Amino acid sequence: MLPNRSSNSVKRVFHRAALLRLQDESKQEQPSSSSYHQHYQASSSSGQETSQTNISYADQSGEQGEDYETEEQLQGRILTAALEFVPQHGWTVDAIAEGAQTRGLSAAAAGMFSNGAGDLVLHFISQCNSRLSESMAEQHKQIQLGQAEPKKTDEFLREAVEARLRMLIPYIENWPQAMSILLLPQNIPDSLKHLSTLVDDIWYYAGDRSTDLNWYTRRATLTGIYNTTELVMVQDSSPDFQDTWAFLDNRIRDVMNMANTAKQVQSTGEAVVQGIMGAAITLKNLTGMNQRR
Amino acid sequence: MAASTACFTYRTVGVVPRLFAARSRCQIPSVPLSGSSRTDLWRRNCSSGREDRTAHFGFETVSEEEKAKKVYRVFENVAQRYDVMNDAMSLGVHRLWKDSLLRVMNPAPGMQLLDTAGGTGDISFRFLEFVRWQEAGRARRAARSLQTVSWQQIADVYRSRPTGDGARAVVCDINKEMLKVGKQRADDLGYHTGLSWVVGDAEELPFEDDSFDVYSIAFGIRNVTHIEQALQEAHRVLKPGGRFLCLEFSRISNPILSRLYDAYSFQLIPVLGEVIAGDWKSYQYLVESIRRFPDQEEFKALIEDAGFYKVQFQNLTAGVVAIHSGFKL
Repeated sequence: MLPNRSSNSVKRVFHRAALLRLQDESKQEQPSSSSYHQHYQASSSSGQETSQTNISYADQSGEQGEDYETEEQLQGRILTAALEFVPQHGWTVDAIAEGAQTRGLSAAAAGMFSNGAGDLVLHFISQCNSRLSESMAEQHKQIQLGQAEPKKTDEFLREAVEARLRMLIPYIENWPQAMSILLLPQNIPDSLKHLSTLVDDIWYYAGDRSTDLNWYTRRATLTGIYNTTELVMVQDSSPDFQDTWAFLDNRIRDVMNMANTAKQVQSTGEAVVQGIMGAAITLKNLTGMNQRR
Repeated sequence: MAASTACFTYRTVGVVPRLFAARSRCQIPSVPLSGSSRTDLWRRNCSSGREDRTAHFGFETVSEEEKAKKVYRVFENVAQRYDVMNDAMSLGVHRLWKDSLLRVMNPAPGMQLLDTAGGTGDISFRFLEFVRWQEAGRARRAARSLQTVSWQQIADVYRSRPTGDGARAVVCDINKEMLKVGKQRADDLGYHTGLSWVVGDAEELPFEDDSFDVYSIAFGIRNVTHIEQALQEAHRVLKPGGRFLCLEFSRISNPILSRLYDAYSFQLIPVLGEVIAGDWKSYQYLVESIRRFPDQEEFKALIEDAGFYKVQFQNLTAGVVAIHSGFKL
């Protein structure tokens, strides 16, 4: 909860800190600045509260003491609590209302989320992405310390995508609804941002340090792989999603082979062109057009 | 709360500014007053004590007890024709405003609403309708998901009139006449369950702490003598996580529209009041009190002062009306 309810002075301090922050942000002229001055004087006059006020004002990132938290942190906690009601209610504000109630707040607190279900889905996705990043960073550290063997690229990609998709399994029944929410116009910028950071993270930990066109092509292909595998997964009914992982294997193999086949195609193309040129010259010789009279 | 009075800058409509002394004792104002006459007025107010504390009643200045009495008399007079006049003055648009308020509120079954200054019950009726409609929707979805359903079960689902699963609306108003009209309307419209009618002062609510999910006040807060006190009472009776919603007339920022609106308000509305309800002065008070009420940003600051978080407002009809919302976290 935000301020500890039993201590009113603590509540007032946070309140004043919030006001200080708000008043600082708003660009009002004289009345606001003079009242800010009054706030500051009033707060500094009360001895013990002074240091707390200053700390609260300075650390807006959320480290405001055990009793305080910012609105964003509270919203994050409500959304996390709401996730367990998703199988029952779907990705809706009803799930958020239930989540708020488990946190001891009234169901009306779900009104805080102006984007409703979109907020819930985006929160879930960013949570999944950070979990994946942490586990990949952990693996990377193990490799640096020499406690684990470095993996080949295709194996690493396969495991990363599988791990990320496995996080969807508890919500797979309602996942199509979440995907459609992510495609709403107001959510597209955020969902694209999350997807691109995910793909970027995976390639970074796979060891990609390219600085040329490869950077774009690699991320584009992985985005394609990820999205198509996700679509296959929501329609998959095999035990433990084996069909999905088989599909994923095939797609990654295709990408790996693509680099080799590109070279082959080029050399084949050159050979074909030379063959055609030779045939054309032979034809001209036969018809006598090459002779100079 | 000295800062709140300092923040409250006075926007006047060409009238000599009167000092709005709040319930806190007179403090040295940090806004420098220009003109010695105003400083004298302030000093006189400060030294004379309680009886001389003034409030605004429209464009007049009256003492605080008088304001409460006069407002009571205004609404006593208009109670019978209140709904008709609302439709006439706003050309029916007030219904859309109230619908917008409900959409912002987005009630769920099981919520407790305190409809302050609820008078004739418009917001409460809409609340109950909304909640019952949602209940019916859920029941239908539940029935659809049953695998093998007997006709008896289907008939039960559709026949049982949902009670809103414990959703309750309490209409609280200081004026008994308005509540009488409201109760009559409730009977006519068929709202028998889930409603309570309570006489109470918004500055001193007769309810316990932490008892409501949503506190709403539609077109009532500008009639309250001490707005900060009403906001603090709202904060008190709300549960943690509860929502404060206020639907109130506000300022139009566009100057052309603003002038049109002023012309409409001051020329047409009192005339309508005289013709339809036979009461010019009450509607004169109505239009003047709208001008005296702080604008969107100032009111938002007042709500934040009372301890609400995530305070936002949205304008309806270009700023004629604004919905302010805050959460008790």
